Amino acid sequence: MSGAAFLDWAIAITLVVLSIAFVLTAIRVVIGPELGDRVLALDMLVSVGIGFIAVIAIKTGFSLYLDIAIALGLVGFLSTVAFARYILHRGRPADAGSKRVASDG
Amino acid sequence: MVDVLQYVAGIAMLLGGGFALTAAIGLIRLPDLYTRMHAASKAGAMATGLMFLSIAVVAFDGSVILRAAIGFVFVLLTTPVSAHLLARASFLTGYRPADITKPIELDAKDIE
Amino acid sequence: MIFVLAALVLALMWAAVTGAFTFGNLVLGGAVGVIALLLMRERIVRPTLFVKFGKAFSLAGLFLFELSRSAVTVALLVLSPDLSKRLKPAIIAFPLRVRTDAEITLLANLITLTPGTLSVDVSNDRRVLYVHALSVPDRDKLIADIAGGFEAKIMEVFE
Repeated sequence: MSGAAFLDWAIAITLVVLSIAFVLTAIRVVIGPELGDRVLALDMLVSVGIGFIAVIAIKTGFSLYLDIAIALGLVGFLSTVAFARYILHRGRPADAGSKRVASDG
Repeated sequence: MVDVLQYVAGIAMLLGGGFALTAAIGLIRLPDLYTRMHAASKAGAMATGLMFLSIAVVAFDGSVILRAAIGFVFVLLTTPVSAHLLARASFLTGYRPADITKPIELDAKDIE
Repeated sequence: MIFVLAALVLALMWAAVTGAFTFGNLVLGGAVGVIALLLMRERIVRPTLFVKFGKAFSLAGLFLFELSRSAVTVALLVLSPDLSKRLKPAIIAFPLRVRTDAEITLLANLITLTPGTLSVDVSNDRRVLYVHALSVPDRDKLIADIAGGFEAKIMEVFE
């Protein structure tokens, strides 16, 4: 098998694998159960998104996609930090010791 | 030569996809936020790094390699920080670790 | 002097990220770097950082190796069928020997990206780092591992 053929094959497989990872992570976003779990899953979605962009960059041969991947990584980091601040500032529950019931926020 | 580079890039890509998948499976299977964070931060960072490596190898061009390296370093610097902030915020707002977690040598009042 | 060096490094990084090593682009990157450095409240650049390049590289090598090991460990754990039996999470208080903010930050980041451990927070008096571990058969051995591995290396680099 030539290198180009192997690369095409790898691209196809990786796109399928990343799609499965994307769906599984999205399931965690939906079922939660807490806001923190959802934020973590969103952070993971950004990682999977970077993976998609990298594969597309190789598939199309545009290295410009690399800049988009870097920018997405930085934006994803900032959004996670902002969410963490939000969780902290939303206030702690009245009974800090017990496990909190998930709110719809 | 080009063939070898394409093989290396393909293998790195497949490994990266595999790590992304295990991270996602970890998110589903592990019992609480703190253990899930292990999967997301480690396997996630590894997946991103392998993807950047794959681009760098396939393009094999100075500026692309440099940018891929910088992207990987950014990911390595930001992943632990976001994981730490999220773990801290969750712990302080009363998200208890799963029951099997012991010992817990941390009290919320120590880190306020 | 350090300021100029930092601005130069930032200019090079700018040129690398934008992908064009032309004179105009380097000047633009330098200008942005100087503005960013002026906007910072504290001096984060210290001469020691530039001197001990060799030891810093050895630390980076150890780190990359540990990261790959860590990712494989977590992947195998996640994929194992008897997950709940192998999982013994714990939050452990790790007594810190390093003192400065930069060292603690570096140690916390390295701990997060290495096998089975994740730093949750540092105590108010900065003497204890709280570490969440994925499976802890032996608490004291874990502490000894971190203290003898990364913490020792970091102390060498920052000496």
